[in-house]
Amino acid sequence: MFNRELVKGSTSLILLQLLNERNMYGYELVKELEKRSDHGLSVKEGTLYPALHKLEKQEYIDCYWQEQEKGPARKYYRITEAGRELLREKTREWQDFVKVMNKVIGRSNHGTAEE
Amino acid sequence: MVRPKSKFLNALARGLGDHLEKDNILREYEAHIDEILLESLDCNDEEEMMNRLVSRLGSPDEIVQMWKEELSVTPSNMKWLFILLNIVLFCGGSLLTLVHNLYEWDWITKVWNYLTAIPTLIAFLYMFFWALLGYEIGRGFGHGGRRLLRTTFLLSLIPNLTLMILTVFEVIPHGWFAPLLTKTFIVACIVFTMVLYPISWLGYRWGRKASI
Repeated sequence: MFNRELVKGSTSLILLQLLNERNMYGYELVKELEKRSDHGLSVKEGTLYPALHKLEKQEYIDCYWQEQEKGPARKYYRITEAGRELLREKTREWQDFVKVMNKVIGRSNHGTAEE
Repeated sequence: MVRPKSKFLNALARGLGDHLEKDNILREYEAHIDEILLESLDCNDEEEMMNRLVSRLGSPDEIVQMWKEELSVTPSNMKWLFILLNIVLFCGGSLLTLVHNLYEWDWITKVWNYLTAIPTLIAFLYMFFWALLGYEIGRGFGHGGRRLLRTTFLLSLIPNLTLMILTVFEVIPHGWFAPLLTKTFIVACIVFTMVLYPISWLGYRWGRKASI
């Protein structure tokens, strides 16, 4: 299990990434997140909705209700063009960060081994 | 297992109070709980079901806390916060000018002399205020903050423009701003006013990067 704050700080990026692939409703997002991360990234499901609301307020995603043949209507979320643009920017930033961290961690391991 | 669902939703409803979006929020949680119920056939009693709901969703109190935090950041709150801050700065400056010119209080004269000796520093601090305005709007409202930035900027600018007009048409005696009101100072004020929007915009772009 990862540090809670780390996961919390990445939730919006993860949600944008999942919605970039297809429109999804809240429960579907949770299931997809669990599946993709082999249950390594688990969030309290109830906290997902305020995060989605924030992204909607920021106009990175929008939503629509869809009636179901069986069961209650579902609220689907869909990424906007601004959301896609931000996702590209943040993904690049994240990849650069990971690259630098790998270099730093790799270098420090090397140093430790030499000692 | 209807009771744990009702209990959970009732606790959420109580916590959310009478917020406008309450019904929509509850409707979404209800749909989510229905999905959890469908895959919780292994739960033997209501207590176990309630524990399952809390362990997966979080407690109603936790959720309400997150919603309160999220719903407290509204465009209207943000707009009026900055408009009022600017008015407070203006009223403070106006009061100081007025008291300095109408009364001969030593300490006011000292403050006045001190402040008029550092106009550039004050101008830069004031520019920081406008950059902060843009940053906070960008951080809170992301891409959706563009319109809010324009509205807040225009409304916040009213005191600035009013003071300029009152000074240019000498409704406020020029002598009141001595020794500040030189030609250089007037030109600097005009230039600073013209760059206020670009500064707020840069702050907004910066804040937008931190919006998620």
